[in-house]
Amino acid sequence: MTAYTPPLARLIEQLQKLPGVGPKTAQRLALHILKQSEDDVEALAQAILAAKKQVGFCQTCFHLSADKTCPICRDQQRDNKTICVVTDSRDVIALEKTREYHGKYHVLGGVISPMDGIGPDQLNVQPLVRRASFPEVEEVILAISPSVEGETTTLYLGQLLRPFVRVTQIAFGLPMGGDLEYADEVTLARALEGRRELVNS
Amino acid sequence: MFLRRLHLRQFRNYTDQKVQFEAQKTILVGNNAQGKSNLLEAVELLATLNSHRTSRDRDLVQNEQTTGQITATVERKHSTIELGILLRKQGRRTLKLNTETLRRQMEFLGQVNAVQFSGLDLDLVRGGPEIRRNWLDALVIQLEPVYAYILQQYNQVLRQRNALLRRLKQEEMRSLSEGEKMQLALWDSQLAANGSRVTRRRARVLGRLVPIAQEWHRLISGAKEQLEIHYTPNVPWTQDNPEQVQQAFLSKIEQRRTAEKYQGRTVVGTHRDEIELVINNTPARAYGSQGQQRTLVLALKLAELKLIEEVIGEPPLLLLDDVLAELDPNRQNQLLEAIQGRFQTLITATHINAFDAQWLNASQIFSVAAGEVSNF
Ligand SMILES: Nc1ncnc2c1ncn2[C@@H]1O[C@H](COP(=O)(O)OP(=O)(O)O)[C@@H](O)[C@H]1O
Ligand SMILES: [Mg+2]
Ligand SMILES: [Zn+2]
Repeated sequence: MTAYTPPLARLIEQLQKLPGVGPKTAQRLALHILKQSEDDVEALAQAILAAKKQVGFCQTCFHLSADKTCPICRDQQRDNKTICVVTDSRDVIALEKTREYHGKYHVLGGVISPMDGIGPDQLNVQPLVRRASFPEVEEVILAISPSVEGETTTLYLGQLLRPFVRVTQIAFGLPMGGDLEYADEVTLARALEGRRELVNS
Repeated sequence: MFLRRLHLRQFRNYTDQKVQFEAQKTILVGNNAQGKSNLLEAVELLATLNSHRTSRDRDLVQNEQTTGQITATVERKHSTIELGILLRKQGRRTLKLNTETLRRQMEFLGQVNAVQFSGLDLDLVRGGPEIRRNWLDALVIQLEPVYAYILQQYNQVLRQRNALLRRLKQEEMRSLSEGEKMQLALWDSQLAANGSRVTRRRARVLGRLVPIAQEWHRLISGAKEQLEIHYTPNVPWTQDNPEQVQQAFLSKIEQRRTAEKYQGRTVVGTHRDEIELVINNTPARAYGSQGQQRTLVLALKLAELKLIEEVIGEPPLLLLDDVLAELDPNRQNQLLEAIQGRFQTLITATHINAFDAQWLNASQIFSVAAGEVSNF
């Protein structure tokens, strides 16, 4: 758009690539940034770069983490006997907010979806199988959203893990449009509490 | 149920039009391309969230605009409700019931019921199996809104399974690895689980519809013709029980394994079902005149009307788009007798003289010109 001088246009274009940011919001954010002091803008830019450079995945559970092992995996107070399997890090954050779960997590990094070229090999499945076979692990809770792809992933993990560990599935009601992220805390806590044995269908 | 008010904003060729319905029968008259079918389409959307004319919302939004809106007041037996559909040229719809924004289609469906009958419906007899499947599916959705979700799940499983088969086809020179077999088995069982839901509901609804359609057909044809409707699922089954039907799917998948491998797509499932229409032991498509085919479609529509009324407990709306003029006087009378005063009916026509005087007296008449509705 000609009303923007090129550097401003570039900033708006970049902001607009972010999820949930449309042209209007992008313009508002950009104009706000230009009004801030240079120090504040510098801090924002640094924070973005530093986060990108430093945050990787926990070697054990694949949750986002700046250290090789994330604080949840390191926490001695947490129960080693259960592993809750989720699709991505957003789900860990949603479940942690309920403060109802005290075990460990495992982040798959997606769900099985041939349309997107994602099969079990593209997910963190092998490390999960290894962890689940440790003697101290008594239960694996599958907390994957009940979309077609999520259900298929649940089915697959059930077949894989059931031979050597108890596998349960959290109780979703009717589909809530999919994501754990959008479930409120009470719903999530109930879903965890009402989990049931995974049966082969 | 009674549609009391309809408000169309930036919908098709309507900029901002309110319509207030006062009689059981409404006649919309106007030349071609003025907006008569567009108005009926809005009601169809309220009832099914689908239009039989397009599957893209950007066609529904008025040209040059980015959003369009349909709102309606519907009087039901026990309550009056406000419905709203916000359509976007890009992006998802927003659905409203009273003042609440709904997250699931399912909660919106079933608030208004309607049966649409247009000249295009002759395709039910003449067209391919897909047209008949879509027709039946639309009816099942009105009767059992959860079916909209079931169908969506089935289609998603189909897309995923096709993607996997397509990929495996590229490796057709070698046999599948254990991992690949396991993956395919997962999608086999998903197809069986979801396909079983689809086929059982189709069979159940058709089972209730057929006797009513046959009865109407006998009446309209003067008992000269015998109508039969056969549901021929791609995966045949006999016992209406989920395990058995799923087992039938898995057996057929096993049987067609090689074909699927070479074609690289799913050849087993409800996306290949057929609903056969037969008159006097001959496929209706091949049988008889246009008039006889119209009789058949009319019988199907009247049966839909009656079945919805039976299941929902309230008479649905009837939308007659340009069909009245196409029916001969005898069939017109059959239709009018069937409707009587019970079903709120919206009728479009290009000329008012297609109706008899009694009808005109009992109807509210609007004229439609260039996206504006006014008293006739
Ligand atoms: N998205 C749209 N925006 C504006 N006009 C439209 C749109 N879609 C269709 N129309 C117009 O609506 C008219 C057709 O209306 P329709 O209801 O089918 O006519 P009829 O009165 O013959 O039933 C045409 O003039 C067409 O150009
Ligand atoms: Mg028309
Ligand atoms: Zn960790």
